[in-house]
Amino acid sequence: MQPSDGAVVRQVLAGDVEQYRLLVERYRVEFGRYAVAAVGDRDLAQDAMQEAFIRAFRSLGSCRNPDRFGAWFFRILTNQCRNAVARRRDTTALDAVDPPGGERADAALERQELGARLEAALARLTPEQREAFVMKHVDGRSYEEMAELLGIGTDALKMRVHRARDALRAAMGDLT
Amino acid sequence: MRQDRAFTKDAHRYLDGEPSGDLSVAERAAAERLVAEALAYAERSEPVGPALDEAVMAAVRRHPHAGRGSAWGWLLTPRPVRIRPVWIPALAAAAALALWLVPSRSARRIPEVGSRVVAAPDTVYVRFELVAPQARSVSVAGSFNGWQVGAVPLARVADGLWATTVALPVGEHRYEFVIDGTRWVPDPTAHAQVDDGFGGRNSVIVVGPKGLVRS
Repeated sequence: MQPSDGAVVRQVLAGDVEQYRLLVERYRVEFGRYAVAAVGDRDLAQDAMQEAFIRAFRSLGSCRNPDRFGAWFFRILTNQCRNAVARRRDTTALDAVDPPGGERADAALERQELGARLEAALARLTPEQREAFVMKHVDGRSYEEMAELLGIGTDALKMRVHRARDALRAAMGDLT
Repeated sequence: MRQDRAFTKDAHRYLDGEPSGDLSVAERAAAERLVAEALAYAERSEPVGPALDEAVMAAVRRHPHAGRGSAWGWLLTPRPVRIRPVWIPALAAAAALALWLVPSRSARRIPEVGSRVVAAPDTVYVRFELVAPQARSVSVAGSFNGWQVGAVPLARVADGLWATTVALPVGEHRYEFVIDGTRWVPDPTAHAQVDDGFGGRNSVIVVGPKGLVRS
C-alpha cells in the first residue's frame, strides 16, 4: 500500500529526502498530460513540471495541509505552465501557429491533423481559458475536480470553458 | 468572430453533460467534433516520462533542505523583518540592534559577554539579528553549517528581536533565516542576494581577514 501524501511530506520534512520521489512519480503521472496539453510543447512542459516539483520541494514547509499535497502542487504547476506558455508566445509568432484553413480535400490528411489544429487554436486562448478547456476536455475532469484543484467556483470555471469553446470554434473554422 | 461560430447554450449544456434542449444537426456535429479534437489532441500528447523523476531528485539532492517556505508568503504575513550586521566591540553591550563583527584577535573576549563560541584565529564573530515578533523559533542556516535547520538557533533577546553570535571563517557565506523550523527567509537588508537555483534567494555575507564584513 502506498503511503499517503501527508505521510510522505512529513517524512521528507523530517529529512528523508529520497521519499520525495514518491510524490514526483505520483503527480508526474497525475498531472503530466495536463502539463503537456496546457503548455502545448512536451519539452517545455517537462521543464515546467520539473521546476514545479523543485519549487514544491523547497516550499514544502509552507504546504499547510500535507494530505492535500496534490492540490497544492497543482497550483505551483499551473503557474509554471502559464509562465512556459508566455515564454513560448514571446518566441513564436502567432502566424507560425495559424490553424489550417477550412478546405480539406484529403480525408487522411484530415485525420492526421485531428488534434493538431486544436493545438494551434489553443495557443490563441487566454491562459485561464486554455487551462480550463484542457482540464475539462483533454484531461477529462469534472467541474468539481477542477474547482478543488484551482480553488475557483464551478460557475466561473464553466464560464471559462464556455468562452474557450466559443473561441476555439471561431479559431478553428468549420467544426462540422 | 462570426456569431454563428459561438456554441448555443444548449450546445454548452450538452458538452457539459447536462440536460439540454434539442440541438440542430450542425450544432451537435460541431460539438462532437470539438470533443473529438480534444481527445485526439490528448492521444497525440506524449506523457511526461519517468526521466523527470531522477532529474528532480538530482536537483533536490544538491540542496537537500526541504521545507523552505515562500519568502513572499512570510513577508506578507508577519511584521517587517530586519537584520543588520555591524561590528561588535570586544566588551560592547550585545543588545544593540545591529550586527557586530570582531576580528578574531579580540574575539577571545566575547565569551565574557555571554557568547558560547570560541573563534579560531581566522574567524570573526558575527551577530545575526532578526525582528520576528510572531516567530516561535528562529535559526540561521547557511553554507557555514551545512544548511542545517536548527543548528544555530537565535535567542529571543527583546520584544520580537532574535539574535545570536556566530564565529565565521573568513570568506563568503550564504545563509537564510529559518522561522519555526520551516519558513526560510532571506535577509532583506543583506548587501547581496543571490539566486539559489530554485527560485529562492540566499543572502550573502563576506567576512574579511580583518573582520570586515559586507552583509
